[in-house]
Amino acid sequence: MRASKSIVIKLILVIMLSCTVIFSITLSYNYYRSSVILEKELENNARNLALSLVNRVEAELLSVSKVADGMSRTLEICRYDKQNIHSLIKTTVEQNPSIYGSTIAFEPYAFNKTRRFYAPYYFRDKGTIQFKPLEESYNYLQYIYWDWYQIPRELGRSEWSEPYFDEGGGNILMTTYSVPFYEVHDGKKRLKGVVSADIGLESLTKLISSVKILKSGYASLYSRTGMVLAHPLKEAIMNETIFNIAEERKDPLLREFGKKMLTGESGFVHFKSLTGIKSWIYYAPIRSTGWTLTVVFPETELLENVRKLSLTMAGIGITGIIFLTLTVAFIASSITKPLRQLAAATQVVASGNFEVALPDVHTKDEVGILTNAFQMMTKSLKEYIRNLTETTAAKERIQSELKVAADIQLSLLPRIFPPFPDHNDFDIFALMDPAKEVGGDFYDFFFIDRDKLCFLIADVSDKGVPAALYMMVTKTLLKSEGQRLGDPDIILSSVNNILAVDDDSCMFATVFLAVLDLKNGEVRFANAGHNPPVLVKEHEVKCLSLHTGFVIGPMPDSCYKTEKITLSPGDILFLYTDGVTEAKNYEEMLFGEKRLIESLNKAPTDSVKEMIYSIRENVRIFSQDCSQSDDITMLAIKYNGPDETK
Amino acid sequence: MILQHNKKMEATIVALEGRMDAITSSDYEIKMKGLIASGERNFVVDFEKLDYISSVGLRAILATAKQIRSRNGKFLLANVHGSVKEIFTISGLGSIFPFYDSIDSAMAFFV
Repeated sequence: MRASKSIVIKLILVIMLSCTVIFSITLSYNYYRSSVILEKELENNARNLALSLVNRVEAELLSVSKVADGMSRTLEICRYDKQNIHSLIKTTVEQNPSIYGSTIAFEPYAFNKTRRFYAPYYFRDKGTIQFKPLEESYNYLQYIYWDWYQIPRELGRSEWSEPYFDEGGGNILMTTYSVPFYEVHDGKKRLKGVVSADIGLESLTKLISSVKILKSGYASLYSRTGMVLAHPLKEAIMNETIFNIAEERKDPLLREFGKKMLTGESGFVHFKSLTGIKSWIYYAPIRSTGWTLTVVFPETELLENVRKLSLTMAGIGITGIIFLTLTVAFIASSITKPLRQLAAATQVVASGNFEVALPDVHTKDEVGILTNAFQMMTKSLKEYIRNLTETTAAKERIQSELKVAADIQLSLLPRIFPPFPDHNDFDIFALMDPAKEVGGDFYDFFFIDRDKLCFLIADVSDKGVPAALYMMVTKTLLKSEGQRLGDPDIILSSVNNILAVDDDSCMFATVFLAVLDLKNGEVRFANAGHNPPVLVKEHEVKCLSLHTGFVIGPMPDSCYKTEKITLSPGDILFLYTDGVTEAKNYEEMLFGEKRLIESLNKAPTDSVKEMIYSIRENVRIFSQDCSQSDDITMLAIKYNGPDETK
Repeated sequence: MILQHNKKMEATIVALEGRMDAITSSDYEIKMKGLIASGERNFVVDFEKLDYISSVGLRAILATAKQIRSRNGKFLLANVHGSVKEIFTISGLGSIFPFYDSIDSAMAFFV
């Protein structure tokens, strides 16, 4: 569950993050490019605006200076008396609305010998033209010491004064254009006085202030010395220079900017304005007065549109990303939904319930394939487990049946020893250790008549149930035929012929069958392909050499040969199957005939039971824990001599 | 046990290797059944590399021999030696199988 959720979250995170990054980069780039384009356009606009303002100011100034120039030329050319001087000045002021006031100030005694100072002044006051004699109205300083008089006089050329407050004269803030005029006498040029025309600073300020730039942008004007002439900061006008302000604010950059601004060049800079707002500033000189005009564009307002656009774009982007996230979440969860269901189903299956219904997936995508595969897996698992259960049950049944069969088989072999307690003339003992549950070996002994004991050992050529069945048939036949016929070779051929009929399985048995005459110890025996038995005498242990004979079972009409030996009292005949000699150890070595003979040599001979147990023990020691591959069967018979009591 | 077979002219040579006991005999029987079913009639079984044969192995040899003979085929044993030959002799089965000293001499039978 958590895993599938994390797929959704991972998808959302990755997609959202990538989108945000792409979008942010686009937006930033857009903002940057817009700013750059805007800045370029702005420079043009600012330049145009500044130049047009400069032109307007220059035009205003020019109109005033021209009038003053004209007056001075008139004075130089024409003769004048007190009256027409007055009327010249008055008319000039009256006819030029940009002129606030005007005077013709004479050098001492230059007007006439009796008057030391003479400077009639006409100026506007509340819509009318007023007259004032400047030689009387200046309280502290005679007019000839004022800058507007002295500087052009000394320089000998016309000049705009620095703005000043004309206290006693016009009584307003003004700047004055002054033109010296001369009298040529005997070819000598002699200064007669100075014509001046005032322009009220207020009218210039108005012009400048009337310029509206964006919301808080403005135009401002600085004098030659950096004095603030027009500015939205009203209290700074005529009170502060840009350098004072720089000093006050401890802003060396502002001072540098001021210096640069006043060199008479124009430029476009990005700077903090006097009002403290980051702005784009264009500055341009007003040539005639040496002033500087600046136009200020506050940056924030300039970029407001760009910012607005960016904000809108960001809004659209964020909405888009949210929409995308929702879509991704929807798609991812719809993809992982069957996975989650599948996971839940898997857990149920894992707990052992194969009947769980798997989610219905009809798509042919990976999830569909997975679901189908899982469905098939569950089905085959179910099948497999059912088969396994059935097989196990069947196997258990067979196991238990085999156990029963083994018990029956063992019970068929004579197992009570001594079997004939009233016979002292022989001892017999036999043992059968099956390798599998049911073995193919068997032994038997029975009396044919009073003195003749038939004993035999046999090995069926297979293991398990088929061998056991074959063994039972063979054993039964051998006993019945043995008791009926009595001669070993005849018994074997008879049994062989019976077995060979309709034998398609090709099973066969090797048999060694012998008949012991208890009266004289004579043993008559015949062999059907079995290992030769071992004869154990007091000083000699050896294999019986005999005619091998053909195994019984596979071929009818086999011939067998009866041979005979005679046992002395105390002799033991040891019969065994190949399970003894072919017992293996871990090195794949066989116990072998040689070891068997050696073991028999060392084995106790008093009791056949002890003897067989000793051989069994030797085989066990030899094969260690190596699993027994064949039945181990042994039979030992000891002849004690004829029973005299009978 | 390792089994190899090799079809030569008129007969199929089956080479046995290792041990032929209760566990491995079924391999032999399955292989032979397959070959017989595919139509092979004549066989030469090479015992050269067979180290051991148990009574179960003998039964298997006997069973295939019987099957082949019932189809009028030939079943020859070659290079039977050592303890394996001894077992054949003891069980008397040696008398019903023709033994050949080499594959070539067995193959000569078919020429």
